Amino acid sequence: MTGQLVGTRRRPGTALAFSDERHLQAHQFLVDESYLLDTQDYESWLALLTDDIRYLMPVRVTTARGTGFDTSPGMAHFDEDKYSLDRRVARFATEHAWTEDPPSRLRHYVTNVRCFAGPAPDELVVESAVLLFRSRGDVRESALVSAGREDVLRRDPSGAADSAGHWMLARRTIAVDESVLRMQNLAIFL
Amino acid sequence: MTDLGRLLADVRRGMIPAHVYNDDELFRLERDRVFGRSWMFVAHESEVPRPGDYVVRRVLDDSFIVARDEGGTVRAMFNMCLHRGMQVCRAEMGNASHFRCPYHGWSYRNDGRLTGLPFHREAYGGEAGFRRSEQSLLPAPALDSYNGLIFLNLDPDAPPLREYLGDFAFYLDFYTKQSPAGIELSGPQRWRIKANWKIGAENFAGDSYHTPQTHTSVVEIGLFREPKASKRKEGALYWAQCGGGTTYKLPPGTFESRLRYVGYPDVMIERMRCGWTDAQRRMIAEDGFMISAASVFPNLSLVHNWPKVAAGSDDEVLPFISLRQWQPVSADETEVLSWFAVDAAAPEEFKKLSYKAYLMCFGSTGMFEQDDVENWVSITSTAAGSMARRLLLNNRMGLLHDDKPVTPPLAHWAGPGTAYVGYGEYNQRAMLALWADCLEQPLAEAARTELGAP
Repeated sequence: MTGQLVGTRRRPGTALAFSDERHLQAHQFLVDESYLLDTQDYESWLALLTDDIRYLMPVRVTTARGTGFDTSPGMAHFDEDKYSLDRRVARFATEHAWTEDPPSRLRHYVTNVRCFAGPAPDELVVESAVLLFRSRGDVRESALVSAGREDVLRRDPSGAADSAGHWMLARRTIAVDESVLRMQNLAIFL
Repeated sequence: MTDLGRLLADVRRGMIPAHVYNDDELFRLERDRVFGRSWMFVAHESEVPRPGDYVVRRVLDDSFIVARDEGGTVRAMFNMCLHRGMQVCRAEMGNASHFRCPYHGWSYRNDGRLTGLPFHREAYGGEAGFRRSEQSLLPAPALDSYNGLIFLNLDPDAPPLREYLGDFAFYLDFYTKQSPAGIELSGPQRWRIKANWKIGAENFAGDSYHTPQTHTSVVEIGLFREPKASKRKEGALYWAQCGGGTTYKLPPGTFESRLRYVGYPDVMIERMRCGWTDAQRRMIAEDGFMISAASVFPNLSLVHNWPKVAAGSDDEVLPFISLRQWQPVSADETEVLSWFAVDAAAPEEFKKLSYKAYLMCFGSTGMFEQDDVENWVSITSTAAGSMARRLLLNNRMGLLHDDKPVTPPLAHWAGPGTAYVGYGEYNQRAMLALWADCLEQPLAEAARTELGAP
């Protein structure tokens, strides 16, 4: 069994023009989402995820060039569905999630956004880069996580989703840029 | 300068000078005297299943290529070119017939033998100047395995692994031999935490006392029903030679019904029944204890829990196993390597759900692990200063002032070693006693290899 290649994969086709309404909506979706994640408003964030969400962050490994994979076979940091994400969010809402009490100061920097027409008319594939700055307490060193993301956004057929263009996140693959994370845990979302 | 004799005496009477959790001087001693002579887990055979498969693993600062050669033998080779010291393998994993040094092009077969040496005749005068045919990457001084778990030892004179594991092997089987196929490993997830390596090892060895407090949140969200204080204190703590662990007391039942209670399907239970010894079966069937966290001295830990992996009835739990290593980086930093382990013969659906259970509970994103690490980072940070040298932490839980146990050891315990029911720091004391034994014993100077000297 070998892992997947997430780092240097090239997407066929041309990105939508930055002036395209779908690009603008997707970009706004990611920016609005980053504010929810910075403020740990996870209930609102969950409401933007489809019921069949797959939220995946493979473990990156260093392999020789040309090996054909750069993730650890069968292992991820996150490999989540709605139930597991919902439990994570529920845990943060208890009074006993010590790792986030006191809370971290978080800043998600989202950039390099480009958008592609998805396989279905109501779907978009959106790529972005994210840099998360996390500071805990007063004396600890802060920590960074850098990653690329590939998202599938799907338009909410009911039109109820509280987001630009009523887009919802249906799939996210996070290509983290480190094989050994320099952060005490991933009690955060990317 | 620390008075080592006094420090070790303190530790042995159950008092821990708090600075042991962040002390550069002690860390230098640990590097030589603990990690220079202990059996260190490096990989599992399932990580290198085919000829040529390799993973690169470290023992502190020493990098080793753990590779399966063309004949199927698994070796561990020091990842340093014999010529000028370059790493011959800079990937973490892969498949290769040879490793070629990028510096001057010396190349080695995947069994370590030097095979390519550019301009051997012109530069060295051939065999007359440098005997190429006799050279190999330095092998690990000692290499051994148990249930497919590959360990190496930097001390060539270390006792055999099986002797080192001793009675703990009885418990290791619960995690790593649920069928004749053994386990398969995925991962590891790797991340660095600003915590001393001993804290995780001690915690997994025997700290059932922290579970109801640190892990309140996972009970509150219905992920894992067992850590409630009322249940946790019914579990037994056992210590057997080089390691020990915690257990949960299961509801009344048989071997089969108790394994069903933690979520094993019948097809797996049947293989456990056939593969385990009578005493191993009795620990579950008669004593009614199920393994949970454990540690093998010095820095390998295991965990087996059975959370709820999907929405629905409370009874639908599923077990997972994780192996983890607290790889020391410095006195105040540890790299955690956390693997998911599962019986290789388990049904595919079980493997899938067990993996999901693991991710929710342990590892870089695990909901148990998140709160554990928060504690350990805080302890390490606080242990750095001068006040920590004035405070001796109490590691005597379970002992009265006259050193008699608060409750007697279990009279009926099917496994080897000693077991107690209830809270107590028996295992943390046992762990630190082994640590003290290592620290007071200087290490003999290791033999040197002179490469191609006349």
